Amino acid sequence: MHYSILVLFLILAVISISVFVYVFLTSKSNDNQSTGMANALQKRFWFILILLVILCIFASVTIPKSPYYQFADKQPSKVIHVAAQQFNFIMSNNAIDPKSPVGDAYITVDANELVEFRVTSLDVNHGFAIYDPAFKLIAQTQAMPGYINRLRYQFKEPGLYHILCLEYCGMAHQVMRSYFTVK
Amino acid sequence: MIASRLKKITSLWVVIVLLLFVISIILGILMRLNQGDVIQLSPVTFYTDMTVHGLTMISIWYVAGMAAVNFIMERYVTTSKPANIIALVFTLIGVLMLWASTFIGKFHAGWTFLYPLPFKEMLKAWATPLFLFSIAVLGVGWLIWCVSLIAGMLKKYSLAQVFAWQYFRKGPKTETPPFILISMITLVGIVTCLLAAVILLVLLFAEYFSKGAFVNDALLIKNLTYFFGHTIANEMLYLGLAVIYELFAEISGKPKWKTTWYVALAWNCTLFFILTAFFHHLYMDFVQPEGLQILGQLASYLASLPAAGVTVFSIVVAIYRTKINWTLANLLFFIGVMGWVVGGLGAVIDATISNNFVLHNTLWVPAHFHTYNAMGNVLFSLGFFYWFSFQFSNKMDDNKLSALKLFFLVFGGIGFLAAFYIGGADSIPRRYSNYPDEFPLAKTLAIIGGSFATIYLIGILLFFVNISKRCVKILFSRSS
Amino acid sequence: MCKNLILPFILIAFCKFTVYCQPTSGWQEEVNIYKQIYNAPITLINGEQTSIDKLAEKKPVIIALVYTRCTGICSPLLLQLKESLQLNKNNNNYTVLVVSFDSRDLIPDMRQMAHLFNLNNNSHWNFAITDSINRLISSIGFKPVWNNTIKQFDHDALLVGVNSQGYISKKLVGLRNEKELELMIGSINNVYTPTYRLPGQNTLFSCFNYNPITGKNKPGMGLLLIALPAILSILLLVVINKFVHRKEEV
Repeated sequence: MHYSILVLFLILAVISISVFVYVFLTSKSNDNQSTGMANALQKRFWFILILLVILCIFASVTIPKSPYYQFADKQPSKVIHVAAQQFNFIMSNNAIDPKSPVGDAYITVDANELVEFRVTSLDVNHGFAIYDPAFKLIAQTQAMPGYINRLRYQFKEPGLYHILCLEYCGMAHQVMRSYFTVK
Repeated sequence: MIASRLKKITSLWVVIVLLLFVISIILGILMRLNQGDVIQLSPVTFYTDMTVHGLTMISIWYVAGMAAVNFIMERYVTTSKPANIIALVFTLIGVLMLWASTFIGKFHAGWTFLYPLPFKEMLKAWATPLFLFSIAVLGVGWLIWCVSLIAGMLKKYSLAQVFAWQYFRKGPKTETPPFILISMITLVGIVTCLLAAVILLVLLFAEYFSKGAFVNDALLIKNLTYFFGHTIANEMLYLGLAVIYELFAEISGKPKWKTTWYVALAWNCTLFFILTAFFHHLYMDFVQPEGLQILGQLASYLASLPAAGVTVFSIVVAIYRTKINWTLANLLFFIGVMGWVVGGLGAVIDATISNNFVLHNTLWVPAHFHTYNAMGNVLFSLGFFYWFSFQFSNKMDDNKLSALKLFFLVFGGIGFLAAFYIGGADSIPRRYSNYPDEFPLAKTLAIIGGSFATIYLIGILLFFVNISKRCVKILFSRSS
Repeated sequence: MCKNLILPFILIAFCKFTVYCQPTSGWQEEVNIYKQIYNAPITLINGEQTSIDKLAEKKPVIIALVYTRCTGICSPLLLQLKESLQLNKNNNNYTVLVVSFDSRDLIPDMRQMAHLFNLNNNSHWNFAITDSINRLISSIGFKPVWNNTIKQFDHDALLVGVNSQGYISKKLVGLRNEKELELMIGSINNVYTPTYRLPGQNTLFSCFNYNPITGKNKPGMGLLLIALPAILSILLLVVINKFVHRKEEV
């Protein structure tokens, strides 16, 4: 469970709902008579500016953490080739021939080694999502026909990692999965 | 004063939208129950339902917004009734074609029909072309409607006035009502995304009819798909906002809102942001250049500025320590804005690339867009429907049921959405007909979601009965 | 006026479109990526004894595998490589190593080849032979087959990018354009591009072409199609405006 995201959302949601409820209650009480503004669209400039500043700070903090910049200047020690097709993942330590795709039965990577997944699709769009042993989503990229997406990741904990398809790809989408081991 | 023909067309829209809404909600509940293992649907049936649910919902709340905007626009300019009727007919035909391609032909590629999935095996070979033609029919009808409304506005206002550019100079001589400004901005956005759909369909048909001699680029098609899909889903909310700008003050017994320079600036900027925000659907396609990904994040953030910065604060300030005549209509608007803000928060979290890395295509995605549809846009339109249905009757609102209706909507909505949000944070995938056992929470959450959605449905049914009774009366009243 | 420009543009786009490229087996370029190349001892045409790793330590290496008696792809490969590298002014951090995979080739053969392409005095280019051909080509995944009827090898045109640490970071099979060569130079200099395109697909309507040297994406024809709706709707707006007001005047 990604608690931090859920908690962040809940805090923001509760704050904004409280503001709304409070404002609503002030309009119900009888002791004030039309102290509101004649034109509600006036004097909102400061609100916009504050909001803009908050959003800019949030953006500048989060953008450098985007997956495109992760491990960009390092040399991966292992590459796993992935070809997704309806409805399974072909994973191999070697390059996969699209005409006769064959994968390795077991994929193993070492803990703390930098792995590069080279992900493509042989038919429709698929998702390539890596779930840790506790079934928490930790990394993903898309498998798109005609393109190879390179996803780099360093697995800290040993265990069995699962791969689920996260882009709707047809009637057996929900059972399209694979796994690999981190030693 | 208001042409009785427009009154009748609008009431027909209201009845059709509500009827289709009830059907679509039932499809949604069936999906959640299937995910919770309460009922057993075959995966193809599930994904067929999902396709119908998605596209019908998009269609009806889009046309609901359009019908409302069209009705109110008659106060300022003359609107074309034939265009309105053409849109109605095309929408009905489009939806019927959609249902035929899905329920009979078992087209199940999802409402986003992401290439090349539609060209893979569907049960019936004609299902895919029929589905694509249904989109084409809907698109053409809506395009005609949009163009007629834009033409109507341009007849009265100049190009500069309709975008409220005169407010950028000191002492503007003419006034542009906020309603006209927002309608124009929104309609131009809608025309743009409908044109994207046209290009998308041309490319898809080219591949279909050339029998594979011409092959599309998957990345290009994905960009075009979300240009159309994301933008129309977003713009339909703004149609609702246009109505709120016009009606909220009026229903609350307050003076009308007036455009100011930064309202004009904010909404003009929206036009740009809204057309580039769709890039956030492609964050996980690392093939997309980083520049566009970052533009996607910034545009998604900034698109909230005019919306939140102007609309939300305006509503809040308009109400704060002010005596308001609360009726069901403006309460719906108010709660709708609240739901929209909460959904927007979920959206901003997901539109952050580093969060999207672990949230993309989990239940977080349906969580946020259901929030600002089911708890935002639907309430905007219901507010309008309610106000509209009472416009032409002498009877006053019976308040007995009002609180109950709202309770059902809000209580059902919150429970239904909470199940989605928790599921999303728990990494549960979206668009799964059945959940793997490794997600222990998934089935429970699905049952909770389905149950609360049923409560929400009861609220909608109460509205449906009440509003459509009045609308049918308007429909069959003798023209005066 | 804008409309006059855009319409032909679309037309050209759609006409070009019908030219369909046959997919090639580009997957071979993925073979042995990030594997260490065999550190073969090599003899350069000036007589210097060195090895691939030693060469790569100084500057990342692009290896071209050829043989002098080739009547097929080898000469065009070198010629095109030379042309493309001359066009590339942005990043000079590489050397080219032309190494023979034919055991009949001796130093004088390679020296003559260098002379033939006028590359014998070019600091970027090295011509060499090695006595461990088999270990080298198997570490690359390169499989030439001797064809006895034509007395020639059946083989691919292959360029191998090796970074300073001696790892194969990218391979190009077939005669490829200078953009892809730039991608290779970026790759051997450890510039990370999150993506590669599979070669052989229809690239005409792709949205972007990545240039690893400038690190920028050049817009492709597809991007025009993404921008087109916005352009069209602005035009539509202007047209409606004109139309509406013309009617008024009449």
